[in-house]
Amino acid sequence: MSDSQIPVTVLTGYLGAGKTTLLNRILSENHGRKFAVVINEFGELGVDNDLVVDADEEVFEMNNGCICCTVRGDLIRIIGGLMKRKGKFDGIIVETTGLADPAPVAQTFFVDDDVKRATKLDAIVTVVDAKHLPARLKDSSEAQEQIAFADIIVLNKMDLVSPAEADEVEALIKQINPYAEIRRSTKSDVPLDAVIGRDAFNLARILEKEPEFLSGEDHHEHDSEVNSVSFEVSKPVDAEKFNAWISQLLQTKGQDLLRTKGILHYAGDKRRFAFQAVHMIADGDYIGEVKEGDPRRSKIVFIGRDLNRPQLRRGFEACQVDA
Amino acid sequence: MAEVAESDFLLAQRGVARELGAWVIGAVFDARNRLAFALADGTLHLAATEEPWSSVTAHDAGLLSACADMQEGWLTGGDDGTLMRTAPDGTVTKLADYKGKWIDHVAAHDSGLRAAAVGKALHLLGPGGPLKTLTHPSSVGGIAFDAKGKRVAASHYNGASVWFVGAKEDKPRVLEWKGSHHAIAFSPDGTHVVTAMQEPSLHGWRLTDGQHMRMSGYPGKTRSLSFTARGRWLATSGAESIVLWPFFGGGPMGKAPTELAGGDEVFCSAVACHPQHEVVAAGFGDGLVLIAEIASGKVVPVAPPTGSPVSALSWSPNGALLAFGTETGRAGFVDLARR
Repeated sequence: MSDSQIPVTVLTGYLGAGKTTLLNRILSENHGRKFAVVINEFGELGVDNDLVVDADEEVFEMNNGCICCTVRGDLIRIIGGLMKRKGKFDGIIVETTGLADPAPVAQTFFVDDDVKRATKLDAIVTVVDAKHLPARLKDSSEAQEQIAFADIIVLNKMDLVSPAEADEVEALIKQINPYAEIRRSTKSDVPLDAVIGRDAFNLARILEKEPEFLSGEDHHEHDSEVNSVSFEVSKPVDAEKFNAWISQLLQTKGQDLLRTKGILHYAGDKRRFAFQAVHMIADGDYIGEVKEGDPRRSKIVFIGRDLNRPQLRRGFEACQVDA
Repeated sequence: MAEVAESDFLLAQRGVARELGAWVIGAVFDARNRLAFALADGTLHLAATEEPWSSVTAHDAGLLSACADMQEGWLTGGDDGTLMRTAPDGTVTKLADYKGKWIDHVAAHDSGLRAAAVGKALHLLGPGGPLKTLTHPSSVGGIAFDAKGKRVAASHYNGASVWFVGAKEDKPRVLEWKGSHHAIAFSPDGTHVVTAMQEPSLHGWRLTDGQHMRMSGYPGKTRSLSFTARGRWLATSGAESIVLWPFFGGGPMGKAPTELAGGDEVFCSAVACHPQHEVVAAGFGDGLVLIAEIASGKVVPVAPPTGSPVSALSWSPNGALLAFGTETGRAGFVDLARR
């Protein structure tokens, strides 16, 4: 089943960051792979590829009780059309406009049954301009969200910054999203394998990374900046308690929670449960069994705004089985 | 094994099936009961009882939409923006070129109308060429002419627009309902419009008084809508059975739908109502094709499951032939005429 799913790479980034340069680089590199490319109508540069589809970035709200559940209708339509010609290409690349909020794109891959059946989200790649990112982050919530949603960040235009500035920008990125992989580049010159076929939504791997500075003290700052928190528990998780807690949390705080990812060990189950959500839309699946003797720790990560660390910690800890 | 043999009986005794190698977009009968299968690879296969089927390439790239052309032949829309007509003798003519834009939907009416949906635009054409272009607030999700060809309806975000084709001034009647609407159908008497939505439910409007109709409870997305000949029932896909809503006795408001041919835990993927009788054909996610008589609930298998979802299904206008196609390119038809 999963073998027949076409991998989709979502390319986001602010205007002028080097997104189209990266796209053209991916397409022109001699890799023998064919891509269907979905671009927005008002792209800055031309894209040279056999299969280019113009998208309108039509976002609409779902009537499913989630106030922040918006999806890209044009993507549902385009992917539906592309799937009828399966075998003609190996992957799909979706380029978004610079000002786009990545949530509707990501949510499209969780919400629509046909899209879920036919494709899998391989990675969200965000291209950022090393020189201008600090200013963008100050004046635009979209720029923050594009970082928050990223699995891979291409830190571009390295030739325009000093090593010290580069480290500063990286620190800024890590403050928002410590789980993304950062690739420094000049003129978007990252190897294809760094951005395509990453299976970055393979949660297990992401969550194994433990950013050292996350293990700070519990505190709760009210601010509109995007940041992240993560928690680990060592006792097995009670599936019922977790579901009740997380559904309630996503319902009430979903607008502020950009991404939620978790790897859970349910009581009495050898398999691990991979959980993820974009705003209020959640999805989950069992992944491989734990090896004998390996620690059975459960972990959850939140990336969002106005995160109440002590409250989230207590909530997650209370999901452990009694005794 | 007995069951498999039985589900194969009609196809084996009275039908033909072939592997055509690409997604079947449409199994389309023209007004004179001639059948062509339109495939996603851009080809049309003109089917016949005897071998071989002839094929033509209507679109060099991909084919996205297909329907019967006005009086005979077939109309297809490509992802290169070309609107093509294929005549019964296999001659292909380009009718319009929308410059690389996808033609997501096509429709035609024998009174001399053709329609092609390209993004937000619905282009109307007559026998002599373009007539007008109707623009919508967002991309068109589906189009349908009413039975007389007087009106054309287009679904989009937050509802549907109904246009009078012959109006001097083009101002649609906008049927509003929040959400994304795609498949659309007129009731045969032209009094109701029904759409299938992104959320697994249908929405309908009674045009006389604007009464809303919500039809929900589907486990999957409905892709296929079909009214019975006299409009008493609306057959739909999107559940593990054929779901039929009653459009009589005050329904469908407050009435439960009738479910037929359920129980296999496989979603119904296509429906087609017989052009004269209250009989519905249905295709399923495993490739099974069957027909069901609505009054008795009696089910007759037509083609056995082959593993690939039925993507196209239709009756010939004379009601004698039923054609089907699957996502992996199996295409066939059966002759159900009395012998």
